[in-house]
Amino acid sequence: MAKVEEYDMPDELYYHKEFMWVRVEGEEAVVGLNDFSQKLAGEISYIEMPEEGDEVKQDEAIGSYETGKWLGKLYAPVSGEVTAMNEEVEDEPTLVNKDPYGEGWLFKIKMGDPAQLDNLMKGEEAIEWLRGEIAKHAKEKK
Amino acid sequence: MYVFNLDKLSGQQSMLIFHLLARMGVEALVLVSPKIPLASIGYFQNAEEEMDLRFCKKTNIPVMRREVGGGATYLDENQIFHQVIIKRDNPIFSRNISENYERFSLPVIETYREFGIETGFHPVNDILTKEGRKIDGEGSGDIGDCFVWVGGILLDFDYQVMSRVLKVPEEKFRDKIYKSMKENLTTMKKELGEIPSREEIKSVLIEKFEKIFGKLEPANLTSTMIRGMEKLEKEFTSPAFLLKKTPRISKGVKIREGVEVIYGIHKAKGGLIRAAQEVEKEIINEISLSGDFTFYPKDYLEGLEGKLKGNVREKSLLNSKIEEFYDKEKVQSPGVESEDFLKAMKVEE
Repeated sequence: MAKVEEYDMPDELYYHKEFMWVRVEGEEAVVGLNDFSQKLAGEISYIEMPEEGDEVKQDEAIGSYETGKWLGKLYAPVSGEVTAMNEEVEDEPTLVNKDPYGEGWLFKIKMGDPAQLDNLMKGEEAIEWLRGEIAKHAKEKK
Repeated sequence: MYVFNLDKLSGQQSMLIFHLLARMGVEALVLVSPKIPLASIGYFQNAEEEMDLRFCKKTNIPVMRREVGGGATYLDENQIFHQVIIKRDNPIFSRNISENYERFSLPVIETYREFGIETGFHPVNDILTKEGRKIDGEGSGDIGDCFVWVGGILLDFDYQVMSRVLKVPEEKFRDKIYKSMKENLTTMKKELGEIPSREEIKSVLIEKFEKIFGKLEPANLTSTMIRGMEKLEKEFTSPAFLLKKTPRISKGVKIREGVEVIYGIHKAKGGLIRAAQEVEKEIINEISLSGDFTFYPKDYLEGLEGKLKGNVREKSLLNSKIEEFYDKEKVQSPGVESEDFLKAMKVEE
């Protein structure tokens, strides 16, 4: 697994610019929030996810989560039908903080057009992008 | 970046304005007050659980769900809202959310100082006086392509109505909330003995925020914006949005960072137990126990309250305190065990 500074970035995943990750499992995209985002946002108190059967569009805000009185949004990294959501995370949202790429996965989307994965980042491109985000957001601003 | 130095807006527009500007992608500082009182709940709160909707309806206090986190608030003309709307690609924005709170609180702290009130930022999102009383609470959220950070200068505050709009399982819990708020929440009027000129405060706020954002360009609401807010109001007041069920379970009222009033009712075999506590950093400051259970001698219940006060809300510790009290005082409470008190107190593992 790649590590960019203190942030985990598994090599096999695709990354969306709104800080979501995607793991491809057959026709399905398993989706979560990346390590960088969860670390900067802080402990997640509540989470609202799309429901099974919802049709979602790539880049669309489809859920929300709250940390320290900030309301963040969850985005669909690809279009398709939501086939599952992680009920354990709904009950215990800090799973996202504890294990963002494992038990803290959020929902699954049956991809309508797998070619949309080309719009996401992977490997070196994703690492470069994260380095840019770290420079923008994780360094103290004067 | 614009500054909307507005007066008092009608209906829910004083809150809808930042939702609208964020959706439109307009970067701005908005200073505004509501013309009529209203109540607002955090995005993840359940309106029917948190608010006394019947009272709000009877007294014409509209309730709205905001797209910002946090808890229920009562808003009226004695507050000047400061709302910052910036695009998330603006270099000023940080995804380190606590950093935004600290940075954007500074102009507000400097404004209070200009009027003779020393305050400081208290993580996560409060501005407290030197004495530790909250004088400004803040919230934030992502809306559209923007980040919004909102809060309000407290000129004066109606503690009575605030404690009234909240839904509590027992009326007697309101008094606890009221007293805790009176103790922990302050205002410019309380601190200074009078309310400074609204225009002067707003002008100082603009000057201080300009240190972060640079010169702000004055702007006024356009007819498109007013129509936009009217449209949003329909969406925000729809039962589907206002009354939607969320995963957040109410256990009390947060008064300020670190201080909350927790109330609970538990049906034990021996009867109903009610518990209301003021908790500061997990330590029980105050507790009152009541109910229809048998506790003999009855006036020893105060002794049990005294035994629990000053302790950390930790299950095994409180359990041993209750057991010690029973052993020492030879109290009898058929059908009520120490576990039942802990359940009423919402003490978890």
